Amino acid sequence: MDREALRRLEKLNQLQLNDEQKEDVLAFFADQYDRIDKLSAIDTEQVERMVHVMPIFTVVRDDVAVQPFTRDQLQKDAPETMDGYWQVPRLVE
Amino acid sequence: MSKYETVIGLEVHVELATESKIFCSCSAKFGAEQNDHVCPACCGMPGMLPVTNKRVVDLGVTAGLMLNCDINRVTTFDKKSYYYPDLPCSYQTTQWFAPVCVNGTVTIETSKGKKDIRIKQIHMEEDAGKLVHDDWTDTSLVDFNRTSVPLIEIVSQPDLSSAEEVVAYLERLRSLLRFAKVSDCRMEQGSMRCDVNLSVRPEGSDILGVRTEMKNMNSLSAIERAIEYETARHIDAIERGTEVLVQETRRWDDIKGKSYAMRNKETAGDYRYFPDPNVMPIVIDDEWFAKITSTIPDLPEVKKQKYIENLGLSEYDADQLVQSRAFCDCFEAAYAECGMAKDVANWVISDCANMLNKKQMTADMLTIDGKALGQLIKLVADGKVSRANAKKILAVMFNENIDPAAYAEANGLIVSNDTGKIKDVIRGVLDADPKSVADYKNGKEKALMALFGKCMRELKGNCDPQLLRSYLLEMINQ
Repeated sequence: MDREALRRLEKLNQLQLNDEQKEDVLAFFADQYDRIDKLSAIDTEQVERMVHVMPIFTVVRDDVAVQPFTRDQLQKDAPETMDGYWQVPRLVE
Repeated sequence: MSKYETVIGLEVHVELATESKIFCSCSAKFGAEQNDHVCPACCGMPGMLPVTNKRVVDLGVTAGLMLNCDINRVTTFDKKSYYYPDLPCSYQTTQWFAPVCVNGTVTIETSKGKKDIRIKQIHMEEDAGKLVHDDWTDTSLVDFNRTSVPLIEIVSQPDLSSAEEVVAYLERLRSLLRFAKVSDCRMEQGSMRCDVNLSVRPEGSDILGVRTEMKNMNSLSAIERAIEYETARHIDAIERGTEVLVQETRRWDDIKGKSYAMRNKETAGDYRYFPDPNVMPIVIDDEWFAKITSTIPDLPEVKKQKYIENLGLSEYDADQLVQSRAFCDCFEAAYAECGMAKDVANWVISDCANMLNKKQMTADMLTIDGKALGQLIKLVADGKVSRANAKKILAVMFNENIDPAAYAEANGLIVSNDTGKIKDVIRGVLDADPKSVADYKNGKEKALMALFGKCMRELKGNCDPQLLRSYLLEMINQ
């Protein structure tokens, strides 16, 4: 990973790293990429995709609506609310 | 214009007709007070665990079968990461690696004839919340009611080349999905939304031009205008260098008739898709798949042909019925009960449709019991209930489930063939109105109609009109 890629990643993750942290992260990713390259070298053509680490499938529920929580309960710990809305700093596209 | 061709691919989001959300049991109904349909799961609170709504998978597969797709019998959910306050988890749970449906086709018809539009995939996902910007406090207000409402996204290949084709494609999608009861597809309520990916290239070229994506269009006519505007903007940029085209997302402002840049388009890598470990893979076994397949209706045009060929309906009647799945269901159930296709068609497309109109409801909102309608039509055919009274009974059937025969009996709406009673009523009317009797005898036909009307009113409509008329004439001339 180069510095430009790291800058993009910082932006996407809403992070601001200092120089020391940047060096750490770059070293970490260099190590990870080495590992991935080694894995990529293995021929997996005949191997079925692993869809999940646990052999548990199709955990589903019936389509029934229930409302066990009230708005007030959910907003009890919210820093700011207004008229039943969560209130956040203004966003402009 | 003809030097260039427009290349369009669509991403259509459709809200599924479920009671509850995709990964929690909150209601998915539209129009509640802000944040009334929320719980820790759809608010993205720590420790919550999503559980997939089975009905969402049913409807996802149904949509795929209606659009001739291959169904992935092992289908998985993935996280799509982006940071925005309408997305409480900072990721959307969607499908990237194994979407439920792939490789479909939709046939459209325009002034240039028929054309197949290829479907790349259909995936299931959760909707995001809604933001309201408050100028007074200069803050944004978040409503999570819509968060996690189930959606399918139907992704087409870039096979469309004009606004006309796009409109035909969307109308066809809407008709098929409504027919299969996948969604009500109401653009004005946001239950069907469309993003348009558009680029322009010299005719005959096989290299794609710079692609822009347009959002925020909530009617077919807005989509049409947006495509025409955007095509012209691209051609201007290519031909006259008015601007440099960049790959970006643009917002359509229908009032100003212009599109505006929103943000530079993320690439797939920016979303950092990865399998969602909290949502278990879905395996659609043969039994489940067969159950879904058995609910797939005939296409509207196939049904129409069957109505004409097997039941002898006119082209017009059949066409009216297949405009709505609710009409078809009601018609078929009523026909099974009484066996009178033409009569049933009339009751559905005129009497029921009028009633819906009066209540400002759409055809898909017809919920009367078809079997009961069949029984009512039989009562009329057997001369047990007059048509006028049958209409009154139909009005009641719109509001509650009733047995038409029992209701008619209980409310005195059964035709009386009690000759003595009918003659008593006629005698009373004639005695009370000697003037009309005299007028009729002097040749005024209208006077007879007045007397007939009075008798019918006295009998509350419960008399065979032919019978009443013959008794009336007989008694006047006595």
